[in-house]
Amino acid sequence: MGNLVTIWAEWLRPSAGLVTVQWSLLLAVATIAGYLVQRYIGLPKVVGYSLVGGLAGFAGFTGAVWPLSGTGLFVLELAIAVVLFEAGGRIPLRWFRHNPMVLAQSIAESTLTYVAVNLGLQWLGMPAAVAHPLALVAVAASPAVLMRVAMDVRASGPVTDRAMVLATLSTLYALSLGTVQAELEQRQQLHLLDSLQPVALLVGLSIIVGAALAFSLRLALKVMSPASENTSILLLALIAAATGIASHLGGSAPIAALLGGMLLKQFSPRPWAWPRQMGTAASLLTMMMFVLVSVVAAQVDWTMQVAGLVLALVALRGLAKVIGVALGNIGSGASWRQALWVGCAMSPMSSIALLIASQFALMQGSTGRMIAQTALPAILLMELLGAVIATVALHRAGEASQPWLPQWRGRDNTAALPSEGEERDA
Amino acid sequence: MTLEPFTPSRALSLGVELELQLVNTHDYDLAPYAEDMLRMLEKQPLPGSVVPEMTSSMIEISTGICQSAAEVLGELSTIRDAMVRVADKLNIAVVGGGTHPFQQWHERRIYDKPRFKELSERYGYLSKQFTIFGQHVHIGCPDANAALLMLHRMSRYIPHFIALSASSPYVQGQDTQFDSARLNSVFAFPLSGRAPFALDWGDFEIFYGKMTRTGVVKSMKDFYWDIRPKPEYGTIEIRVFDTPLTVERAAALAGYVQSLAAWFLMDQPFMPEEDDYLVYTTNRFQACRFGLDATYVDPGTGQHMPLRDHILLTMHQIQRHAEAQGAANALHLLRDSVSSGENDARWLRNRQRKEQLLAEVTRQAAGRFRSATGPR
Repeated sequence: MGNLVTIWAEWLRPSAGLVTVQWSLLLAVATIAGYLVQRYIGLPKVVGYSLVGGLAGFAGFTGAVWPLSGTGLFVLELAIAVVLFEAGGRIPLRWFRHNPMVLAQSIAESTLTYVAVNLGLQWLGMPAAVAHPLALVAVAASPAVLMRVAMDVRASGPVTDRAMVLATLSTLYALSLGTVQAELEQRQQLHLLDSLQPVALLVGLSIIVGAALAFSLRLALKVMSPASENTSILLLALIAAATGIASHLGGSAPIAALLGGMLLKQFSPRPWAWPRQMGTAASLLTMMMFVLVSVVAAQVDWTMQVAGLVLALVALRGLAKVIGVALGNIGSGASWRQALWVGCAMSPMSSIALLIASQFALMQGSTGRMIAQTALPAILLMELLGAVIATVALHRAGEASQPWLPQWRGRDNTAALPSEGEERDA
Repeated sequence: MTLEPFTPSRALSLGVELELQLVNTHDYDLAPYAEDMLRMLEKQPLPGSVVPEMTSSMIEISTGICQSAAEVLGELSTIRDAMVRVADKLNIAVVGGGTHPFQQWHERRIYDKPRFKELSERYGYLSKQFTIFGQHVHIGCPDANAALLMLHRMSRYIPHFIALSASSPYVQGQDTQFDSARLNSVFAFPLSGRAPFALDWGDFEIFYGKMTRTGVVKSMKDFYWDIRPKPEYGTIEIRVFDTPLTVERAAALAGYVQSLAAWFLMDQPFMPEEDDYLVYTTNRFQACRFGLDATYVDPGTGQHMPLRDHILLTMHQIQRHAEAQGAANALHLLRDSVSSGENDARWLRNRQRKEQLLAEVTRQAAGRFRSATGPR
C-alpha cells in the first residue's frame, strides 16, 4: 500500500492550479443555472450566470480580486472587445447621414444620464469627485447583456436594433471619457493643455489599433467566406491580439475593438454573416465575463447607506435614459411607445461599467474605494435586474419570437414550446 | 353568402400590386419593420397605397387605376423612391424577388391584424411559409362575362408570366433548382390552382354559392387561384408573378398583360375550352422548374415547343396592340430578356455563383431595387 502511494506521488505533475479548478467548477454551475433559469422561469440565461457569480462573490470566492488586474482584467477586456467589435459592426455610419436624429437621441440620453446622476448624487451629499466618475459609469448601457437577452428571446426589430445602437454609442462615450478622465485624475493634470496630450494619445492609439484590426479583416474577407468557421476563429484571434496590443501601447482595447467594427462595416458593406456571437468559444468568453463581473461586484461591503445611494443612482439612471431617448425621439423614425421600450431595454449595466469603475478604483486611492462602494452593487443589481427589464421591454415591444412562458407551464400549449433543438444560442 | 355583383370597369385599365421584402443591413435577413415603414409612409402623399402583408417583414404596394405601363412605372417609381428614403432612415433595405433566399420561416411573426391572425389560426405553419413575395396584375374588364372569358384565355399564358417574372430560385438557403419556387408554397393551400371553367357569370355565381354553403369559403379572398375575378374592382387578377427585382420589370410585365388583353378583346383570337386545362399543370410546372428554358405544350394544337419561342411568337402577335397601348417599350424590354435567356432567377444564380454568399446576393438585389437603371 505504501509502495502504491509512493508511485502515485511520483506520478503527480504540476497542474494549472486550484484557481483554474475553482473557475471551471464555477462556470459549470453558472452554465447549469443559466439553463435552468431560462427553461423554468423564462428569464434570459445571463440572469443565471450573474446569480451564481454574485453568490460566489458574497460567499468569498477568491478567484478574482478587485480592482481587476492581470489575467482577470485581460479576460474581461477580451470579452468586452469581442462584444463591442460585433456591436460596432451594427452601426453603419451612413445611417447617421440619413437619420441624424438617432445620433442626437444617443447624445441626449447619455448627456441627460450623466447630468441627472451627477447632480442627483451630489444633492444626496456625495462629493463631486465621486459623483462625477459614478455618473460616467452610469452612462454606459451594456450591449453585451442586451445582445444575450435578444438572442435568448430571439428578438429582432426596431426596438432591439435601436437599443443596441444607443447602448453601443453610450458605451463609446463612457469608455472614452471614463478612460481619459481616469488617466487625467491619476496624473492630476487638470489644465486643458496638459490633458490634451494623454487624450490624443489614448484616442489615437485606439483608432490606430482599431483601423489595423479592420484592415486585416477586410483583407482576410477578400479571400475567406464570412460564414466559414475559420473566419470566426481568425476574427477571435485578431481581436485577442488587438486587445493585447492596445493595452500594451496605452490605448483602450474595447474602444479599439468598437471602432474596428465600425470601420470594417464602413469600408466593407458586405453582410456580416459569421455565426452570431461567433460561436461557442465567444459565448463561453462572454459567459465568463458575466460571472466575473458579478463575482467582483459582489465583493464590496454592503451597507444601508450605500444601498440608498445605489438605488438612487439606478433610479436616476433609468429615468434619465427613458426621458433622454424620448427627447431625442422626435423625427428619428420611432414611435413614442417604441421610445419607451428602447429606454427600458438600455437599463442593463455590466462589464463596461465595471471596467470604467475599475480604472477609477485603480487610480484614485480612497476616492476610488468610495466609487467602488456604490458602483459595484449598482453594476451587480443592473446586470440582474437590467436583464429582466430588457426582457420585458423586448416582449412588450412585440419583438420577441420566443413566448415568455416557463416551459413547465407551457406543457399543454405545444405551440408555445420550442421544438426539439430549437433552443439556439446562435 | 352571395357573390357581390361585378362592377364594370374601363376595359384594359391596369392596376399592379407588389409584395416586397424588408431586410436589415447587418446580415440582410428579413426584418420586422412593416409597421414602422407604414407609419412613416403615411405622412407622404403617394399614389396608390401601401399596406401590411401576412408577416411583419413584408409590405405590399399598389398603384391606383392606370391606363398604361408607363403610368404604372411612374406610380411604382414614386412609391419605390419614397420607400427607399424611409428605409434609409430606418437603416433597413427594401428588396424584390419572390422569396428571401435564406430566411427561416419559423422565425417570422404574423402581422398584428385580425385577418392575418385568423388565417394563421386556420393554416398553421403554412401562413408563416407564406412569407413569399408576388406581383398581382389587375386588368379591367367591361362586364362579368368578358372577365371570365379574359380569365380563361389568359390561363394559356400563365407559363409565360411565370418564366418572365421568376425570381425565387433560393428557399431556406438552398438552390431549389426551380426558377420560381414561390409557387410551390402557394400550391400547399387547399384553394389554390386554377379557377373552375365557367364562361357565364351566372354559372360562376352558382359555383360560388355551392362553395360558400360548404363553409369552406367566406369570400373571394379565400380563393388562392392563379387568376381570379375581382368583382368589386371589375377586373381579373393575375397572381402567378414573382415580384421582380426592379419596378421597371414589374411595369413591363403589366404592359405585357395589357397587350395580351387588348389582343383578346380586339381580335378574339381563340375560344378557351375546358380541355385547355389538360396541359395547364404541366406547363405551369415546366415554367416554375426551368423558367425560360421550359417546354411549352400548346393547349390548342398539342404542339411541344420551347417556351421561349412561344413567348417570342406571342410578342410578335401582340406587337400591334402593344404599340396601341403604349407598351412597346415594355415588350421590347421583355423580348431582350427572353432572347438572352435572362430572367431575375438567372441573375440571382449568377450573383451567388460569384459571391458564394446569399446575404451578399440579397444586398446586391437591394441595390438593384433602389436604382433606376432598369432591369437587365
